[in-house]
Amino acid sequence: MASAFLFLLAFAAPPDFDREIRPLLARRCLACHGPTMQKSHLRLDQRASVLKGGESGVPAVEPGRSAASLLVRYVEGTDPKFVMPPQGPRLTAVEVDLLKRWIDAGAPYPANADASPAAPDPRRAHWAFQSVRQPAVPGVKDKSWVRTPIDAFVLAKLEARGWRPNPPAAPAQLQRRMYFDITGLPPSLPEQRAFRGDLDAEAARLLASPAYGERWARHWLDLVRYADTNAYERDALKPQVWKYRDWVIRALNEDKPFDRFAIEQLAGDELPDSDAGTLLATGYHRLGPWDDEPANPEEDRFDQLDDIISTTSQAFLGLTLGCARCHNHKFEPLLTRDYYSMLAVFNGLERPRKDRTELDSPIGPRAVVGRAAAMETRIDTLRAGFRLQWLRGSESKLPAAAREAFLTPGNMRTEEQRKLVKDNQKTLDAELKAAPVETEIAAIRDELEQTPRGYFMVERSAVPPKTHILIRGKAGALGPGVEPAAPEIVAAKPLRPEAGSTSGRRLAFAKWMTSRENPLTARVIVNRVWQWHFGEGLVRTPSDFGVMGDKPEHPELLDWLAAWFMDNGWSLKKLHTLILSSNTYRMAKTSNAEYAAADPENRLWWRFPYRRLEAEALLDSTLAVSGQLNRELYGPQVWPAIQKEALEGSSDPGKIWQPFDEKKASRRAIYYIVKRSLMVPLMEALDFCDTARTSARRLNTAVAPQALQLFNGGFVNRQASHFAARIRSEAGADPAAQVRHAWQLALAREPNAAETGKMLAFLRGSSLEELARVVLNLNEFAYTN
Amino acid sequence: MNSPTPTKRSRRDFVWQTGGGFAGLALMDLEARAGSLLAARKPHFPAKAKRAVFLFMNGGPSQIDTFDYKPELTQRNGQTYKGPLAVGSNNRPVGYLMQSPFEFRRRGQSGLWVSDLFPHTSKFADDLCVIRSMYTDTAAHASGCLQMNTGSIFIGKPSMGAWTTYGLGTDNESLPAFVVMTDPRGGPIGSASNWTAGFMPAAYQGTLFRSGGAPLLDLKAPVDDATQRRSLGLLKELNEQHLIDHKDESELAARIQSYELAYRMQTEALGIVDLDRETPETRARYGIDAKLTADFGRKCLITRRLLEKGVRFVQLYSGGGHIEDTWDGHEDCITNHRLHAGETDKPIAALIEDLKAGGLWDETVLLWGGEFGRTPTSEGIGKPGRDHDWHGFSMWLAGAGVKGGQAIGATDDLGFAAVEDRVHVSDLHATLLHLLGLDHTKLTWFHQGLNQRLTGVRGEVVRKVLA
Repeated sequence: MASAFLFLLAFAAPPDFDREIRPLLARRCLACHGPTMQKSHLRLDQRASVLKGGESGVPAVEPGRSAASLLVRYVEGTDPKFVMPPQGPRLTAVEVDLLKRWIDAGAPYPANADASPAAPDPRRAHWAFQSVRQPAVPGVKDKSWVRTPIDAFVLAKLEARGWRPNPPAAPAQLQRRMYFDITGLPPSLPEQRAFRGDLDAEAARLLASPAYGERWARHWLDLVRYADTNAYERDALKPQVWKYRDWVIRALNEDKPFDRFAIEQLAGDELPDSDAGTLLATGYHRLGPWDDEPANPEEDRFDQLDDIISTTSQAFLGLTLGCARCHNHKFEPLLTRDYYSMLAVFNGLERPRKDRTELDSPIGPRAVVGRAAAMETRIDTLRAGFRLQWLRGSESKLPAAAREAFLTPGNMRTEEQRKLVKDNQKTLDAELKAAPVETEIAAIRDELEQTPRGYFMVERSAVPPKTHILIRGKAGALGPGVEPAAPEIVAAKPLRPEAGSTSGRRLAFAKWMTSRENPLTARVIVNRVWQWHFGEGLVRTPSDFGVMGDKPEHPELLDWLAAWFMDNGWSLKKLHTLILSSNTYRMAKTSNAEYAAADPENRLWWRFPYRRLEAEALLDSTLAVSGQLNRELYGPQVWPAIQKEALEGSSDPGKIWQPFDEKKASRRAIYYIVKRSLMVPLMEALDFCDTARTSARRLNTAVAPQALQLFNGGFVNRQASHFAARIRSEAGADPAAQVRHAWQLALAREPNAAETGKMLAFLRGSSLEELARVVLNLNEFAYTN
Repeated sequence: MNSPTPTKRSRRDFVWQTGGGFAGLALMDLEARAGSLLAARKPHFPAKAKRAVFLFMNGGPSQIDTFDYKPELTQRNGQTYKGPLAVGSNNRPVGYLMQSPFEFRRRGQSGLWVSDLFPHTSKFADDLCVIRSMYTDTAAHASGCLQMNTGSIFIGKPSMGAWTTYGLGTDNESLPAFVVMTDPRGGPIGSASNWTAGFMPAAYQGTLFRSGGAPLLDLKAPVDDATQRRSLGLLKELNEQHLIDHKDESELAARIQSYELAYRMQTEALGIVDLDRETPETRARYGIDAKLTADFGRKCLITRRLLEKGVRFVQLYSGGGHIEDTWDGHEDCITNHRLHAGETDKPIAALIEDLKAGGLWDETVLLWGGEFGRTPTSEGIGKPGRDHDWHGFSMWLAGAGVKGGQAIGATDDLGFAAVEDRVHVSDLHATLLHLLGLDHTKLTWFHQGLNQRLTGVRGEVVRKVLA
């Protein structure tokens, strides 16, 4: 009866909005979604708002398609997670049908319903969303101070205030500043002696040293949430992951152009000239933490993709797109649609694994990888073929019923057969292992093992799964389908991926990302490089260039640098050279009461900023000064000795940490194991980055537990002994010479009379080891010049 | 309190925030702590509780064997469960409904139901506020511990102790503001991610404190005290000399100060764990001289001493490592819970007793529980194990600002799922912060484009808890 009634209704004329639909909406919906209140930012009495949808980013109504319309889904309320109205009785079948017919008729609103058509979003005019145009270099009064265009931009703004930039720092100080900055190590004595004041030559020499890559790769590793384990319960070592770290060091040392550097990480497997290096680069996608026993496996897939989207959008684009996963971004012109369009770019990626164990994959040129894959297939085929033959033959000692059970596909086995399989699995495995075919397999495996392997996700098909907007970010709640695309606010044209053995989506995206059409990537990396040199960026929110991000004091300088960078082949080393040769970089750190009061943040760059060395640079410098630094490059993780008490917080204190002997462990800290559940305590105390997600800057704290580790801890005290032994052997027994030598090694300067007096007095009652410990804890040792 | 947004803060504020010292002040006032990262701060609104203790029963204690009395389960003992809920975790086998072997009694004036697992703590039944309707979002230990400690199943979010320390600072900078003591059998799964400061400065993270020997990492100087003092003296003199040319660098001054604090911490922290001077009567009450209760007894007594010294947040772990070394009674929940309850019951009661006697009870809030509960069914057939139950479990609060002698909410007749006055983990977090005078919607830290909170986008204060 009811269905016949609805059937009849379906053929009736479309409902009249004012007479039928508005009263229904007014009665049940508009109190929360009307003119006075717009819960979830949804307003149902205006067509534009209905088509735009609320904060979920999904249109409330798809005109002409009631079945696909979110409004219908909510008022039908078949899924308890999505029910409207939240209070009072549900809509009646007749009311629901009325809405459906109205939607199927195109959801007509009367002409006057949208009294105020939506104005264009003013956020579109935000500076960072406009194309990069190189501005003219400004004129200045004091032309003699201008060594590079950077100086002209900086000086022009200072002069406008009637200010002067700080005088230059002393050459020896600048040498130490550059050493820390470029290599993360202090200048050695011979390097100090050989220095004749030519800073440009010094910069070129340092940029050519492999220590540059070891220092600057760590900046990048912070951004891409690099760690060696997956976190959570097992916190297992990721196989071969360190090769990604080494790839970054090499790429920087080779001055791989940044656009290519980015493309290889996002789509190294999709490049026509893909090879071992470009495959290792795509390890980028797989660096994040992941739970091998997820609370909700269905959500987990999207959590892992979220890690990639959040990292990519922040690290490369300076956009906080991760906030748009469940609803349109609250502050930025970023839509849920943008989020899922980007998800579509990465949706083909899979994590090679067997149950909870992650697997690595062969690396090399296409032909080599293809051959390795063929060998793996061959092994599987041989095994499967022999197994079949064995079970059908008569040589097996298994009872016939058991063999029959094994031959039956898993999902078709009877209860009894399942038991037989379970009981006889071990016997069968042993029989198969002894089979002659295993000899052949072993030979193939030997050959296969010749192929090096790497840690990255793989895309196995040219056709990735269809991507939908997920309503409120819930895995099961499919909204409209989306195509792969970059965020609409910065990408006018759709992506045009060319499918091959993969979808080609990531390559298309990466090419757009590093093209001049994209206003963000060059600006973002240039700003980061500035920050890594100066401690602060021109934009002080380096991973957020959105409307909520910092408004730069020097947008012209940023744009000039971004354009210059692209014109110069995206070369990081050229950019470093430009910055290092500027007078802006070479200013003293001295403060100035007047300027400090007016510009405490130094946003006008009237001086070189003060900053403590990061954990790695401080540890590396300690080893360099003590003479123990092992300069071996690259390789698997290094496990330094840590306090045994630190293991007590772990769930497997006996097993998880097997430290190397001191010589093997005295490598640069970039090679230290980064174990997510147990950080090297000294690194952690010195504000090592958060590895759970992309990290744009290190914090800088000075708290008592840090001082305890630096003053009392094993690492510094061992190095103090080595340092003392070195001083004795190099400077002899004369205390005055020892003091001078210690100072020169650690601080690259002579001690003054007051300092010398204090230390000599100290040495009369204490050992040289004690003095060495004090020197390694000095503020001046931990701070750049 | 709001963290300064990066866009709006001055460099000076940034130093103030991260320098751990006293921005803008030079050496004249080395003792000044105004502006320190850890300086004591006023709560959002007046509150009785000034500090908190989280007694974390790692592994997931069973609600139906502790505080959630289920006569219906006894009636249906041995039957098959046919309800709609997903039972258990990780495809473990599901057995029959299994009654609790522990006798439940009404305790105190209030008549609160408590099982015989807790003969000592139940003497304070009139002080306990049991929430019987807790639920969480995950059935796995790793994500469960993370959610209970940080509000999120993902790693990297600051823990409750870190948020509290950020919100209130500390009254004693010679000790860590947030102390964590783990079980000698091992830490919880996820280790330090359970007491991390996440994206906030490391100064707010929990500091592992050992209950014997040197309680902090590198607390013991490698040299005698005279040499240590002399060396620190030289370090200070040379640093002060250096500071003359860098008067405006508050970071440098803060770093000088941190060495002095570290030295004071050496004495203070060693004193805390020296329990020899406690009377035999006290040691006996905490069970320090009995093997079963020695470790947790020491930890509870040290907790009392830490609270007396102004430490803001203490978290104690009962159970560590894996499976039966924790409350994770998959094989034999009965023996398991007898052991772990036996280890902790007497020490916890002694702590409550001492806090009451010493006047700290009115300023301290206690929280007891684990990452989830356990199933009313046995795990597999013929063995008395119980699997994880995240649909419903019990926790209790007591102390300052808490209305004791009551049970809030209820699970279904068998004890599977919270059905009445359901309390999500984030609601519990909102409530605990509220008891400490902090509004969970206002205690935020700007990070990655958002004002982050302990409670994310959830959390309602459970009003019934409040006295």
